[in-house]
Amino acid sequence: MPAGHGVRSRTRDSFSRPFRKKGYIPLTTYLRTYKIGDFVDVKVNGAVHKGMPHKFYHGRTGRVWNVTKRAIGVEVNKQVGNRIIRKRIHVRVEHVQPSRCAEEFKMRKVKNDQLKAEAKANGEIISTKRQPEGPKPGFMVEGATLETVTPIPYDVVNDLKGGY
Amino acid sequence: MPYVKAQKSKAYFKRFQVKFKRRREGKTDYRARNRLINQDKNKYNTPKYRFVARFTNKDIVAQIVHASISGDIVLAAAYAHELPRYGLEVGLTNYAAAYCVGLLLVRRTLKQLEMDADYEGNVEATGEDFTVEPAETRRPFRALLDVGLVKTTTGNRVFGVLKGALDGGIDIPHSEKRFAGFNKDSKQLDPEVHRKYIYGGHVAAYMRTLMEDEPEKYQSHFSEFIKRGIEPDNVEGMYQKVHAAIRANPEAKKLDKAPPKEHKRYNPKKLSYEERKAKLIDRLKALNSAAGADNDSDEED
Repeated sequence: MPAGHGVRSRTRDSFSRPFRKKGYIPLTTYLRTYKIGDFVDVKVNGAVHKGMPHKFYHGRTGRVWNVTKRAIGVEVNKQVGNRIIRKRIHVRVEHVQPSRCAEEFKMRKVKNDQLKAEAKANGEIISTKRQPEGPKPGFMVEGATLETVTPIPYDVVNDLKGGY
Repeated sequence: MPYVKAQKSKAYFKRFQVKFKRRREGKTDYRARNRLINQDKNKYNTPKYRFVARFTNKDIVAQIVHASISGDIVLAAAYAHELPRYGLEVGLTNYAAAYCVGLLLVRRTLKQLEMDADYEGNVEATGEDFTVEPAETRRPFRALLDVGLVKTTTGNRVFGVLKGALDGGIDIPHSEKRFAGFNKDSKQLDPEVHRKYIYGGHVAAYMRTLMEDEPEKYQSHFSEFIKRGIEPDNVEGMYQKVHAAIRANPEAKKLDKAPPKEHKRYNPKKLSYEERKAKLIDRLKALNSAAGADNDSDEED
């Protein structure tokens, strides 16, 4: 019999619920709100059959572009041939998690605003740009002992153990 | 003892998945809760209020709650044990008391939200199906009935609470099918019968039958009623006074005692790394000294 390429083919493991987490879905998934422009991770919940995205989108992250009664429109990048298309899919909220990819950026924004405000109050100019990690500073090697290594003369009898 | 094959092996426990805690306790029906809480995503953070009615053996709890990720938030609550403040001291879990609790809760929330002038509701309880009319300024407060795990038969007391709430002036989508006095054959609510239940008519009727047929049982069963001098004929008047008192002042009574400075702990506090290390050292010392003492005593013997 041929392999079969249905919509949910090869999803036996990725769509299955994790060990000892089967059955009822915790209600926080339904209580979260999503706004347009938020980043979300698409992670399929095999227990809910409605509004499932295609298996390609499992594990992708995208932006929210639409919010409906029970589902969210997510814009995900997909490489098709030699170009990347921005695909717009609609996914039910059970298959979506808020993404933390933009969290670091948001926190940095807040901190930078704070630093800039303080600097302005003090009257000094600061740069809030991130600097890449430079080369490590120089240091003296501690506790080094010198050991001179010389080759030993070739010993025929010992080296040919049991092979002669 | 004959060999008994072990039923639940270690493997069984390793694979066992526990249900949610409140399901294990048998208190929450998650299927119903899911449907009550789920808010349309395009309504974002608009709260969806539940009108919760729960009965214990001696009390009635009515709350208006909305859900949040850190836990449900209660807007207002009313209990049957508050009814003595309004003049009802006995029969705190019957249909009439349920009506009073519903009414109390709703008047309290409306007062809290400053909507009580707009929405008087049904001042004279007639037992007919009453739905709130939207006022000019604001739309009525909307909540969804949450009965919990109760079997919703016709005439159940939770619907007494519901009727009290409706007459108080909030919007709860409902049908009259389950009110006391709904006739299954004619598929119509008989408002007279419902009115009787709201004013404790069924209790009064039972009192009269007992007085005639079994006076001793009447004395024992309705002893609290007799102690307060409540006759079957006074029952209706008593409830009317309670309704009026509730409408006059529904505010909750502030507790007099101050909240405790520290929260009371219900579970043992988790030790830190250093504390656990110290505990281990102490235990080893104790064991060593005990072992040392045993060795000494053996040598002595």
